[in-house]
Amino acid sequence: MITLVVIFLLMLLLKTSAFFPFANPEKGTSFALGFILIFAFLFGKRINRIKLPQITGFILAGILCGPFILKFLSADQVSDLQLFDGLALSLIALTAGGEMAFGRLKAQIRSISALVIFQTLIIIPGFLVFGFLGRKFFPFFSDLTIVQTAAVSLLLGTLATATSPATTIAIITETKSKGKYTDLVLSVAVVKDFIVIVLFALFISLSKPVFSPDQGFDARFFFQILREVGGSVLLGIVVGGGIILYLRYIRREMTVFVLSVAFFTYQISHSYGYHPLLICLVAGFIVENFSPHGDRFIQAIGKTSLPVYVVFFAISGASLDLDALRSSWVLALICVFWRTVLKFFGTYAGASLAKEERGVRLYSWAGFISQAGVSLGLAILVEKTFPEWQGVFLSLVLAIIAINQIIGPVLLQKLLIRVQEVGKKQLSLY
Amino acid sequence: MKAIYAFGLLILLAFLGSRLIVRRKTLSPLHFIFLSGLLYIFLGLYLGKHGLNILSPQVLDALTPLISLGLGWIGFLFGFQFEAKYLRRFSKKSFALSLLQSTFVFFLVFAVLFIVVRKLYPGQPHHLLYGMALSFGLLATVNSPTLLNAASFALPSRGEYSYLARFLTSVSGFWGIMGLAVLFSFWHFPFFDSQIILVGSVLLLVSTVVPIMLGYLFYLSTKKKTPEQDVLVYLLGFVFFVSGAAFYFNMSPLYVSMVMGITFSNLTRIHEKLYPLLLAAEKPLYIVFLILIGALWEFKFDLTIALLILAFLGSRALGYVSPLTSFRFLLRFPFPLPLLFGFSFLSFGGIGVAFAVSLKLTYQTDLMEIFLSIALISIIVSDFFSPWLLKVSLVKLESEERS
Repeated sequence: MITLVVIFLLMLLLKTSAFFPFANPEKGTSFALGFILIFAFLFGKRINRIKLPQITGFILAGILCGPFILKFLSADQVSDLQLFDGLALSLIALTAGGEMAFGRLKAQIRSISALVIFQTLIIIPGFLVFGFLGRKFFPFFSDLTIVQTAAVSLLLGTLATATSPATTIAIITETKSKGKYTDLVLSVAVVKDFIVIVLFALFISLSKPVFSPDQGFDARFFFQILREVGGSVLLGIVVGGGIILYLRYIRREMTVFVLSVAFFTYQISHSYGYHPLLICLVAGFIVENFSPHGDRFIQAIGKTSLPVYVVFFAISGASLDLDALRSSWVLALICVFWRTVLKFFGTYAGASLAKEERGVRLYSWAGFISQAGVSLGLAILVEKTFPEWQGVFLSLVLAIIAINQIIGPVLLQKLLIRVQEVGKKQLSLY
Repeated sequence: MKAIYAFGLLILLAFLGSRLIVRRKTLSPLHFIFLSGLLYIFLGLYLGKHGLNILSPQVLDALTPLISLGLGWIGFLFGFQFEAKYLRRFSKKSFALSLLQSTFVFFLVFAVLFIVVRKLYPGQPHHLLYGMALSFGLLATVNSPTLLNAASFALPSRGEYSYLARFLTSVSGFWGIMGLAVLFSFWHFPFFDSQIILVGSVLLLVSTVVPIMLGYLFYLSTKKKTPEQDVLVYLLGFVFFVSGAAFYFNMSPLYVSMVMGITFSNLTRIHEKLYPLLLAAEKPLYIVFLILIGALWEFKFDLTIALLILAFLGSRALGYVSPLTSFRFLLRFPFPLPLLFGFSFLSFGGIGVAFAVSLKLTYQTDLMEIFLSIALISIIVSDFFSPWLLKVSLVKLESEERS
């Protein structure tokens, strides 16, 4: 506690105007990153004492120190740190892919498919209903025609289906969880990411002529996104193959190698519009399932996992747009509640069809609430495609993500504790 | 495509490294350049804006925190070795010799370089030329024990000379980094016109007290039984924070993190736990740091720069070699210090690179751009020839000592 308070006060002091003449604001990013790393970590540890996940603490610390509250990190600095965010995401995705052992997946393939299909089939139509009901209450929907409402609702529903694999793997790592529920939640989150991206491509292509009647069905988006998904999968296979060769013939400087994989994946995806998350998920999956080196590889990433999580989630917290939350919190809260209800029914229906046990049917919905990178990226794409919406859709999605990202990790942690899949040591902490 | 190509290049380099960095009976210059990691500077240069432009100025800007972390890490590691109980093993005369050697080299190189830069850059303001000469003087005082460690198998007896050389090369950076702290405090960029003594003293005090405080907090945080992963986050967090703060206030990241390292090292009891962590993280960080430095480097080479390199390396070598006999008499050193012994101190190592970069990043002037080019070329040249110099100096002296 002393360290947390002193670091905080020191930062306050060094950011006062008395020190301005000696400072070089252009070089503030390293300082901000150093502070957020140590502060978020300590904050996460405090939060952990009240039986909440550390990553919730990292996110809250990011929100607290970010550009909307204490301003220790300016908006520019948060934007400068996106590269670190991207690197961290690539490392997390490699771990998530590496955790997907084919043998374990095979045993659960029926449940995974059922959960993915039913969540998708219930949440997307559920948001269609929500859109039509919302036309009476919310100006954003009431200004739209019926077909336009349907288009917006489909996009919102698709985004609502997504679950963050990054948050899921972070909680699993933190709680050292192992078991049926853990595998199921992670696998469904990863598979859903693929489905969400493809469905999103389809719906955004369908929506384009609805808002610009002079244009016909624009298949360009659909094929572009399909190309991105296909390219990402192919690239993931190539990267995975490269990692296997490296592990077989070189094996030296594993940390540098893993960081390089993350960096170059980020660079390539940045330049060609591929999805770093998908590339790394596939690469991790390939290494785990097509070589005997999966464990060594995951170990190499695991050595740096805690600082990576701190940086990733603290920056995620600092990036959350509190202005968006302020402007649309009522609608966002309703959306979050509705999404949670739909997640429950989707999971229940899927698990029932797969003849899963009562626990999976009743509780596993709690593992699918968190939302982050993919939803955010797709929402930004919507905003670019429909600038005439003037940021309203983006603000709403940002607000929903902000709320889900705070409650999602807590719910997943509670689920893993309830089903007793957390590590023994961790179980004694909670 | 360029990114894939660069990635392949990195793997090729790692592959070559994995084949070359094996224990050998001789230490060739090329082998040492691989071993010291300096080759990664060239990789960075190639990946930078003058090559493939993968590490473009925008990417480099975003990666600046890693450079700051690299400087902080080197400073922390350097300070961490200054554990009082370990230092007590060395005689006061050895410390005095180290101080005398560094002071002499600093003044000699400063004087020579000031004369030369004044001749070569007559149009530049005097205070900037002073700054450049001071930077060269301070850089000259730094040397590294990496070469001695790498060549330990080649030393016939590991007697008094190699023991002393290892001590001197390990400690010399301390005086240089102290000098750096004074320079950064009293010659603060952007430059102040008035109250320079007061401002400088306050800055020096702040850059000493804050890292002591943070070192103590680091100790408090890890005093109880702490998991290894947590120690790593504390370590990265504190080093990042302190070096980032130094960077932000244009202070020396090497100095503040060194002070934090000394403080922590003398308080903690988890040296055994921390060393493997430090060593595991050291190489990756160092390699990334060198690649970034290479990408940051605006490579310049012309006759003026060649002359400056000659003046710098020549005066530095003279500074290490010429006064040894006088120092022996002055300190009444228990064994002779022949001139040849001075050639054992010419390798700069990674700390030399860190030194040069921290100066360049703080004083963002055109002259410092030239300084960085001269410094990096000098470091590479010097480290390339130092295995051979070691052979004609220390190895020969030890052979004679044994016989």
